[in-house]
Amino acid sequence: MTRRVVALLALPAALFAVWWFASAGSTDFYRPPLSRILVAFKETWFSRRLLDDVAPSLARLAAGYAAALLAGIALGVAIGSSARLRAYVEPVLEFLRAIPPPVLVPIVILVAGIGDLMKVLVIVSGCLWPILLNTVEGVRGVDEVLADTARTYRIRGVLRLRHLVLRAASPQIVTGARQALSIGIILMVISEMFAASSGLGFTVVQFQRGFEIPEMWSGVLLLGLVGVLLSLAFRLVDMRILKWYHGERDARR
Amino acid sequence: MLDVDGLRKVYDTHGRHVEALAGLTFQAAAGEFVCVVGPSGCGKTTLLRCIGGLLAPSGGTVRVDGTPVTGPPPDLAIVFQEYGRSLFPWLRVHENVDLPLRSKGLPKPERKRLVAEALRAVGLSDADGAYPWQLSGGMQQRVAIARAVAYRPRVLLMDEPFAAVDAQTRADLEDLIREVWHHLGVTLLFVTHDIDEAVYLAQRVIVLSKAPTTVMEDLAIDLPEERDQLTTRADPRFTELRTHVYARIKRSTTPLEASP
Repeated sequence: MTRRVVALLALPAALFAVWWFASAGSTDFYRPPLSRILVAFKETWFSRRLLDDVAPSLARLAAGYAAALLAGIALGVAIGSSARLRAYVEPVLEFLRAIPPPVLVPIVILVAGIGDLMKVLVIVSGCLWPILLNTVEGVRGVDEVLADTARTYRIRGVLRLRHLVLRAASPQIVTGARQALSIGIILMVISEMFAASSGLGFTVVQFQRGFEIPEMWSGVLLLGLVGVLLSLAFRLVDMRILKWYHGERDARR
Repeated sequence: MLDVDGLRKVYDTHGRHVEALAGLTFQAAAGEFVCVVGPSGCGKTTLLRCIGGLLAPSGGTVRVDGTPVTGPPPDLAIVFQEYGRSLFPWLRVHENVDLPLRSKGLPKPERKRLVAEALRAVGLSDADGAYPWQLSGGMQQRVAIARAVAYRPRVLLMDEPFAAVDAQTRADLEDLIREVWHHLGVTLLFVTHDIDEAVYLAQRVIVLSKAPTTVMEDLAIDLPEERDQLTTRADPRFTELRTHVYARIKRSTTPLEASP
């Protein structure tokens, strides 16, 4: 356990140390010493900003991510279960997936205005695809013998969906959800760089425009930390949902 | 109870026309233990999938209890060869046994009783909280058998269920299945490529030809009801029967030009 913690923290600590000492005497306006950035970090983020900027960002991310999860899994199960439906929608999916979501921001602004809805929609538009496409693959990949077993025992409807389809597809769904999470964080920031009045992305841009360089750096640092914490939380959920999957894989070795 | 009449199955894939089953006809009475043997690749699994309603035949009919099979019939269970793929890896042992009972809509106390009973019958009462992948192959197949037992089917199909376990486990499972059959009074159709296993287990052995498959022989096994791995297999009659079946299968697979 201790060895794993050491392995986990060794490189970040080393990088941090290198940054600290390399920037220690810096007088460069754009590259302030890390010590100054940390002071700015404390002053900037341990304040009302946590409520005014960080919380709205995370709330929009949560809303967009949750909506993408729901829609992606529901559509993915439907498309994955029906070869006919798949034949019709696959070309459209390929097209929609290929559009980089930031491009959609101006369009979404036209449709949904510049409020929270726009930002949530941008996040959904990026997070949906990995979840949807992975769910389709997962549903298609349900083991034949297992599917036959369910048919023989006449396991149908909700029972089949809950205990066969969703569970069998869950490793793929989790993979899609993981990709979607990192896309979601990126889009959370990008959506706030356009026509926003609050949020992490907005704040970082504001600092940059106001030449508050240490504060700007501290915002970038915070975004990185948010990403790490979210991915840790994701790991915990993954280990719970896919306990059987990891166990089975270990047993086969 | 089980009535297979002129069953045909032709596979048409990629321009290739393969006749797997060329018209099979046989019956199994209620409560009978019938083994189906045949050379490898003779369409045993195809036959079983047609009877189980998982595969639509190209011709002929299958009736279970007088009703033509068009999809998986009620009161029919299958134990597959690939136990590792037929158990739900995300469900614990008792949940695996329980799931078909939930689909039947049985009340919870009854399900609980049936699950406990079935696991006791296969000697797995202690493992009910384990996941399938934590068990050995033989134990996993026991779980699959317990699931079939708890379901209380009137017809039980088994597709080479012991092909992938070691010899000792296999002997134990063979005796277990005889016990389960006695206990349930179920009509049992057991597909295997192992001639000894077929003769040891069954009341009747149906010998299939190589593809395109037909019934070559329908043989009554007149061994005593009480079977035992040591005495039954040493019985001269057992040797006679197995030699007879073996010769039939061998003759069917030997190419004509090779015969004298």
